[in-house]
Amino acid sequence: MSRYILTVAVLSVVVLALAALSLVAGPAGIGVIQGLSDMLHGRETIAATIIGQIRLPRMILALLIGGTLGLSGAALQGLVRNPLADPGVLGISGCGALGAVLVFYTGISAVWAPALPLAALSGAGLATLLLLALTRGGTLVLVLAGAALGSMSAALLALTLNLVPSPYASYEIMHWLMGSLSRASLHDVLIASPGLLIGSALLFSTARSLDALTLGEDVAQTMGFPLRAVQWRVVLGTALAVGSGVAVAGGIGFVGLVMPHLLRPLAGARPSRLLLPSALGGAALLLAADLFVRLPVSGAELQLGVVTSLIGTPVFFWQVWRLRGRPV
Amino acid sequence: MILQTDTISLTLQSNRLLDDIALEVLPGEVLGLIGPNGAGKSTLLRIMAGLLRPETGRVLLDGQDLFTMPPEERGRHLAYLPQEAPAAVGMSVRDVAMLGRLPHRRTSSAAQNETAVQQALEAVGMTAFADRSSASLSGGERARVLLARALAVQAPILLADEPVAALDPAQALTVMDLFGQCAVQGQAIAVVLHDLALAARFCTRIAVLSRGRIVSIGTPADVLTDALFAEVYGVAVRRCGEVAVPWSLVSSARRP
Repeated sequence: MSRYILTVAVLSVVVLALAALSLVAGPAGIGVIQGLSDMLHGRETIAATIIGQIRLPRMILALLIGGTLGLSGAALQGLVRNPLADPGVLGISGCGALGAVLVFYTGISAVWAPALPLAALSGAGLATLLLLALTRGGTLVLVLAGAALGSMSAALLALTLNLVPSPYASYEIMHWLMGSLSRASLHDVLIASPGLLIGSALLFSTARSLDALTLGEDVAQTMGFPLRAVQWRVVLGTALAVGSGVAVAGGIGFVGLVMPHLLRPLAGARPSRLLLPSALGGAALLLAADLFVRLPVSGAELQLGVVTSLIGTPVFFWQVWRLRGRPV
Repeated sequence: MILQTDTISLTLQSNRLLDDIALEVLPGEVLGLIGPNGAGKSTLLRIMAGLLRPETGRVLLDGQDLFTMPPEERGRHLAYLPQEAPAAVGMSVRDVAMLGRLPHRRTSSAAQNETAVQQALEAVGMTAFADRSSASLSGGERARVLLARALAVQAPILLADEPVAALDPAQALTVMDLFGQCAVQGQAIAVVLHDLALAARFCTRIAVLSRGRIVSIGTPADVLTDALFAEVYGVAVRRCGEVAVPWSLVSSARRP
């Protein structure tokens, strides 16, 4: 068995185990099998409600959002051929968050709930369009445009926090920026799934193009993979996936940066071979982090985005340490 | 298959880079593109590869416009070897060569791809390195792996931009000899060269570019005259047997 297949198999088992554990874990001592069976048969028991309304949506969202974050990180790194690229780097997450925060700030989300996810999607989508308009040139311009977008969204987020009238709204914004799945509902799953799934499909479809791009943009183009077509699919796929994720879970960082790094030694250097393992790894990481925040370690529940950042930054530092003195 | 440029011109920021270039690359020939730095050789090759659109004129592949051809089909007909390639990302030598089969992914079997890659690696003498990581290779070895990638396409047209610039004399001879063999097997090859001795020896035809124009085209013996060296390069040559070796400057003021 090749190392690639072994890696995918082991990661799949880990994801399945964590997903099952995610259904079992919780303060209410209920039978999971019973709850699932009740839910499927339409019996309105307490177990069915807890599984169907709380744990199942949370598990599905952790699985899908983690997966798409890992996947988009791997695809972006393949596109810009830089192992430090991430949805955050291209400013897509930041602009999605900005869109959502503006809706908080204006109070629209209090009047009309769907405004929040729509605003996050629009923010990520606008960031994408701006990126495509700015990047007529090569990938260096793309990364620089992403950095500019990231700085812009950070500045506007700070401005919004600065101007926000009520302490409650300010708390809501801070809380949401930290990222969480604790209030995930079936409604959230319905809102986010189309974008997460279509985005993932777009990202997976770039596998061959990313392989061709390892030979440089010119050679890839002469082999029938025009750079702009790959850019469109990666950036659009990332916007759909990350925008939908941000809409229901807030800011969750570092998954897309860390998973490809950890898995590259196992999956090999071909970018196409990194997509599936990174998606599985991202799903496993977010499921595990979401299980961790449910542990009764302290009075308050930790925010999911805080945990992924705490896991992510040491790995990031370690990678930078490994890369020191080498041209990236 | 014949690659033809039909009076192409290109102006960038009011600089006339190419002026009415009409050229054919025929099956069985190694066409050398020579000329001083900035003459437009690489620009011309990029247009011939479909990477750059000419301002006027067309590039035709067996009479069909290169820029309206489906990209994947174009990828099977034409292989391009750039002057500078990105640093290898740590794939195995075989995997790099296998990338050359990407244009064939819908038309070729795995066995055909494997055979093409093996032949290409054998042609450049890298079979023994097949499982090595491309990150561990020397500059010359990496250049040969990238050449193997281009050969693995098995395209009827091969365009190479200074393929021997990073190679020592022995490897440069091997690579040029390889182009000759490919031409004998029916490939049409255009190659940008700075080494005039190699051009004289291995090219069946030479086109000399100067300031965006073709100033001379024909067999090496017809083209590489003392008058041309003086006119285009501004150098006087000394003849060593049949090979002309640049010897002294004749008019340094003439060169830009």
